[in-house]
Amino acid sequence: MGWVRHLSATLPDPPEVLGGKAHGLVLLHRLGLPVPAGVVVITDACRAFLADGTLPDGLTDELATAVETLGASMVSVRSGAAVSMPGMMDTVLNVRPTPGTLAEALKSVFSSWNTPRARTYRTLHGIPHDLGTAVVVQRMVFGDRDSRSGSGVAFSHDPNTGEKVPFGEVLFGHQGSEVVSGRALTLPLRELDREPGVWQGLQDALVRVEQHYRDACYVEFTYESGTLWLLQVRPGKFTGAAAVRLATDLADEGAITRAEALLRVAPHHLQHVRTPRITPDADAIARGLGVCPGVAAGRVAVTADEAVRLAVHGPVVLVRPETSPDDIRGLAAATGIVTARGGPASHAAVVARSMGKPAVVGVADLVVGADSVTLGGREVEVGAMVTIDGTSGVVVLGTPPVVTGGADAHLRRLLEWADEVSGDRSGRGEAERLAAARAVLGGGTGRSAAE
Amino acid sequence: MNLVVLHALRCVGSTGLTRVASFTGLTESEVESELIDLAVAGLVTHDRHFGGWSLTESGRAADASGTKAELETAGTRPALAEAFDEFLVLNPELLDLCTAWQMRSVDGVTTVNDHSDTAYDARVLALFTDLHTRALVVIAALAAAAPRFARYEPRLTSALTRARAGELACLADSMDSFHTIWAELHEDLLATLGIARWGG
Repeated sequence: MGWVRHLSATLPDPPEVLGGKAHGLVLLHRLGLPVPAGVVVITDACRAFLADGTLPDGLTDELATAVETLGASMVSVRSGAAVSMPGMMDTVLNVRPTPGTLAEALKSVFSSWNTPRARTYRTLHGIPHDLGTAVVVQRMVFGDRDSRSGSGVAFSHDPNTGEKVPFGEVLFGHQGSEVVSGRALTLPLRELDREPGVWQGLQDALVRVEQHYRDACYVEFTYESGTLWLLQVRPGKFTGAAAVRLATDLADEGAITRAEALLRVAPHHLQHVRTPRITPDADAIARGLGVCPGVAAGRVAVTADEAVRLAVHGPVVLVRPETSPDDIRGLAAATGIVTARGGPASHAAVVARSMGKPAVVGVADLVVGADSVTLGGREVEVGAMVTIDGTSGVVVLGTPPVVTGGADAHLRRLLEWADEVSGDRSGRGEAERLAAARAVLGGGTGRSAAE
Repeated sequence: MNLVVLHALRCVGSTGLTRVASFTGLTESEVESELIDLAVAGLVTHDRHFGGWSLTESGRAADASGTKAELETAGTRPALAEAFDEFLVLNPELLDLCTAWQMRSVDGVTTVNDHSDTAYDARVLALFTDLHTRALVVIAALAAAAPRFARYEPRLTSALTRARAGELACLADSMDSFHTIWAELHEDLLATLGIARWGG
């Protein structure tokens, strides 16, 4: 059979062989959606490489021959294991499709399976070390080709609320790697309507993929000179109030049964339904990544000193480019923190959680000045009131309404269905009501069916 | 003039005597007397209200030129920069581990780690221990280029030892945690090599 497969609608292999990324691309082919031509080097080849330290015999030639049929002058070489390990492994872009260059890129991606950080990640998440990664080699599509090019990420539902509306980010004139890295200024997905053909194509794709999964979906896309290409797809994996609303809405649409809806929401999700949130209709001036849940409202301070000084008069939100040890006492005095840089495992996130303070990090369009900050293109002076949501990552001017249990109507319906299934209508906690129904349905109290 | 105490304030940020003592290995009274001298020289200030000590602008400049001269005299800038690259490989992994210690995924939902699952905690702690072993190699390389970096070894080891003995906050959640010391080390390397953090 060899080590390399062409990506097509008829490729039958499971994710264990193709890796999750290629398996998703096969699905997109089956749904008739646009995917750049490509091939996949199967996980067996990685295991052979890891065992011997060299590429298996014949692989380089086989890959070069297969890539030649793509007719591309430049390809991308991406990792894609059966189990998701986001950001842990290498991706090589803009590779010339010559045998030697392809072999080097392949080795680099295979080797990245075994970096100490990747090994630590697998040990933490109970992923076996001997799985290896597949490697997807595709014709490069360029989000930075011209003014009618760009890239982004999109969900079929809002992952913060579960509402059925396309949600995501788009970056005009840039490659997708810059969207994911958080280094560049992204815009809300709806701005894509300036490119109507692409916007319509993307919405159609989200509908089609969602119908297939019978679940919310997530895609990464690039469009090149007005033509849409999909580069990755997976189920949405919603949590908390969003999971509750999504499951009840899908059941109401008839996409899933009520029993399936109950199995989609794990009792653990219900704890998070009760976390305070900014109401979804509040006007966000900026958006980052929520890394410590809860809502914090306070006056903007841009240095640790200022936070300590202003906190004497009332709550403060510390706004920093990123944090250093000197910011710790500022955060101690503040009620919440916003940073321009950083991800879920950043210094700012770790410190905020250690103090239990709502935190939003990775706000790409945040610039911190001496006596004001620029957030989403708007100047906000030191001392101005802002409110942040450490779950959704939104930053709002002033003090918007805050809700606890935003999915109440949906949650009530879901729990009514749960009581019908269990037959128990006594007064109990929400998690108990859901768990009882799941026990009857055979879902136990454990993992949700959505995974 | 004592560069050790001055540099401690540069790496730790504005703080009280306890953290400077822990950073430098000096006693609090030794630290206090040094700080008073530095204040007389206009390099640090004491904030009566907050009770802490901070660098002044000239203190920051004196520290920068002091550490720069130290490296130039020793001729070890390339060696230190090389060891810093090794540090940068470990840094994201350490932050992953701190995050795993604070939060965990249950049923696909990220929740606060309440430390009730001892098997999970043991797994994370074992990974911290493994990373610590590799960190010691990097610290030895840093110390070979600039001896004061050797101080980080006993500090990190002590935080880990306390965590292993059951003080759960000593990894990521206290002012003398492994993470806090690590962040000071990161700041120290940036300051010593004269690398600016991303501006904004």
